Amino acid sequence: MFTKVARPALKAGQAVASARLPVNAASYATLREIEGRLKSIRNIEKITKTMKIVASTKLTRAQKAMTESRSYGQASNEVFEKAETKPLETEGKKTLIIVCSSDKGLCGGIHSGMSRWVRRQLQDKPNVDLAIVGEKCKSQLSRSNARQIVLSFAGIGKDIPTFADASAIADQISLLPGDYASVQILYNKFLNAQTYEPTVVDAYSEEAIAASANFAAYEIDDSVLPNLREYSLTNSLFWALAEGHACEQSARRNAMENASKNAGEMITKFQILFNRTRQAVITNELVEIITGATASEES
Amino acid sequence: MAFAWKAAGLTYNRYLAVAARVVRRSLKDDKRLAAEKRGEMDLRFAKWENGKQGENKNLAQANEAAISEQGQQGQ
Repeated sequence: MFTKVARPALKAGQAVASARLPVNAASYATLREIEGRLKSIRNIEKITKTMKIVASTKLTRAQKAMTESRSYGQASNEVFEKAETKPLETEGKKTLIIVCSSDKGLCGGIHSGMSRWVRRQLQDKPNVDLAIVGEKCKSQLSRSNARQIVLSFAGIGKDIPTFADASAIADQISLLPGDYASVQILYNKFLNAQTYEPTVVDAYSEEAIAASANFAAYEIDDSVLPNLREYSLTNSLFWALAEGHACEQSARRNAMENASKNAGEMITKFQILFNRTRQAVITNELVEIITGATASEES
Repeated sequence: MAFAWKAAGLTYNRYLAVAARVVRRSLKDDKRLAAEKRGEMDLRFAKWENGKQGENKNLAQANEAAISEQGQQGQ
């Protein structure tokens, strides 16, 4: 009697149960989905943490190399400071900007900061040629200023730049056909572990050195001047490369630290979501079992 | 003042590199290995013309070729 009466109700209940089933199935699926995402985020965190550790160890070495190389650049600049050398302001002659970036990414905005600086500079005075060290700035600048690029170098940034790197680059630059009024080296100046800024070092041409105010204080033969110019270009380049390398490592360390922190935040968020969803599924199942039990008991 | 290496077409940097290599090679073995790392250079470069990147070339070979070319012109 009761069963007959209850049947439609049961049917309705079944209908509800069957209607709930896909929802249930969906929640199981999301549970698995969340688990999958959690796992992948954990892996990413592991990777970024490792990269951070690698970057920190490289950073200490790079900073040491930077302080060592600083004396090279400063020693050679001392001469020009004492001689009061200034870049020549000649009309019609081109300026060469050497951009010291590197091949590797994943280090925040240090490459794009330099690219932006170059673009801003190019808007003011378009009569500029670019020699680019490193793939990153090359690909960025080749999109906007491909016509101005005359040389590009690759393979830098794997390790601490050596003096041999700098001298090879300087040699190739001095082989360039163009006659440049001034050569500027753009690099990221290392202010502290958090901050850096694009900075320019001047490398003077022979005429600029010869025209400097206190030039007579030094007894320099005219035939030695090209040597001085080449050597000072190499020194400045070496300094710039080493300092840029240190900046890159510290920027990478910071970027990886932030990435690990973000991953950690995401992990806690997903862990809570995961637990809550699991609990909801369990409660759901319990409710179903209990309703099922009471229903069969009553019948 | 004429330098023999200048007449041979070497740049000052090249001259320095050769001199440095000689010094490094004459060091004792343990020091030499560390020092020779500082002399390594493995860069590639490309010339650009009219906004197009040229061929990627090995920098060391290109420099040597350019220098020997200049040396021949000087003679």
